[in-house]
Amino acid sequence: MRKLAITILRRLILLLAAGLVIVCFSFLQSQIHAASEAPKVDLNPDNVGPRAIEELTSKTIARDYANSWKTMAEALDKNRVDLLDGYFTGFAKDKLTQLIAQQKQTGVRIRYDDRGHKLDALFYSPSGDAMQLRDRAQLGIEILDGGKVIHNEEANMQYLVLMTPGADRWLVRDLVTTPEVKP
Amino acid sequence: MRTWLTSLLVFSLCVAFAQAAELRPPAQVTAGTPFPIASNGTGEGTFYLIGPAQISKRKVNLGGEISVQGDEVEQAGMYTAILCADQCTSVHFYVRPAQTSRLSLLVHPSRVPVAASNAISAVAFVFDRFHNLVLTPQKVDFKVVPPGGAAISQSKTTANGTAWIRLTSARKGGPAKVGASIGDLAEMRVVQQVASDACNLRIKAVPGPKGIAVETEPVRDCSGNFVPDGTVVSFTKTDASGKTTVDAPIKRGVTQVEMAVSGPARISVASGVVNGNELSLGGAR
Repeated sequence: MRKLAITILRRLILLLAAGLVIVCFSFLQSQIHAASEAPKVDLNPDNVGPRAIEELTSKTIARDYANSWKTMAEALDKNRVDLLDGYFTGFAKDKLTQLIAQQKQTGVRIRYDDRGHKLDALFYSPSGDAMQLRDRAQLGIEILDGGKVIHNEEANMQYLVLMTPGADRWLVRDLVTTPEVKP
Repeated sequence: MRTWLTSLLVFSLCVAFAQAAELRPPAQVTAGTPFPIASNGTGEGTFYLIGPAQISKRKVNLGGEISVQGDEVEQAGMYTAILCADQCTSVHFYVRPAQTSRLSLLVHPSRVPVAASNAISAVAFVFDRFHNLVLTPQKVDFKVVPPGGAAISQSKTTANGTAWIRLTSARKGGPAKVGASIGDLAEMRVVQQVASDACNLRIKAVPGPKGIAVETEPVRDCSGNFVPDGTVVSFTKTDASGKTTVDAPIKRGVTQVEMAVSGPARISVASGVVNGNELSLGGAR
């Protein structure tokens, strides 16, 4: 009788351990999946001028801006300059390239946990070759020195973005944080 | 009671000494300008400065001023200063762009037909010497110098570092200079204004060795500019044998083709969307 009880207990413990392993694995997978997903971007094209944004362009801008943030976060996390090639050009690419070089030099690393962006299109040039946008982003920002977290915050950031069309996508040409302008 | 008060005092003192070192950056920082950040506390700590394109890390003595060099704050935007001793403390500050020192001008298109309404657009971006977009409103003077004409100027104020203008091309063909300036800074682009569509397209016919030689009068647009050589003119002949169209480019201002006709015929001419006159020929050749 006692032997049977011990066997059942052993099986229960094994079952629990297996369940725990499955739960942990699923959680890790969801985290990895979340990290590789592009953030949510909502674009408001209503107040733009002098040119109106075509519907297709509106979708493309939102998609490409989301991808630019995804690749920027990955590039900064992994210190990989090559990831910037896809969605950055001009001053924005120069600045991020310099930032990654300094990350490598100092051992300091910036990590973004992207919670989404609200874009307002401000200016779309008459010839369609430049678009300026304001981004209100919700970010988790973590700064690490080696493995030690030296700064951690949940921030509402405001960016001024300049995007220009490339061969098959819109590229971020300038990305500047600006103080929040109170209405 | 006394013991309790003493304990409270000791605890308060401990809390006061254990407080993280603080940083006090100036209220306004301009790109490329060195400045100090005041700190409190005692002993040694590690100072970090994280900006849009900059990461600095160095040992500092707490309680004094931490000097930040101009080259550490060349990029405008938000910076995070972090001071780590026993604990880490951080503060944000914004670096604003320096004075305007660069002007970037986009002008489109590079070739434009004459007298085309709002066909030319010019967009000016205003930067400081570190390529930061200058966000404070600036007055940009746009100037257009048409070929052989007087310059036309118009001022626009930048919004978020950008100013733009739309222009109608001149009535006379040739290179027009489109420029933008702020103070001593100036940028200039050239837009080639070419003749517009043909206007008053007319043909005449004379007997030729192989049939009828049809020739246009000099092909000009409505402003009197010669339509460029190479522009295609289409001649359509309708006679007893049916309808035939011949395309020919303009050469030295005119286009010429030779067509065989049988019996009475009608010949018309067109270039692009413009139709010219029609000739009626009575005899066979």
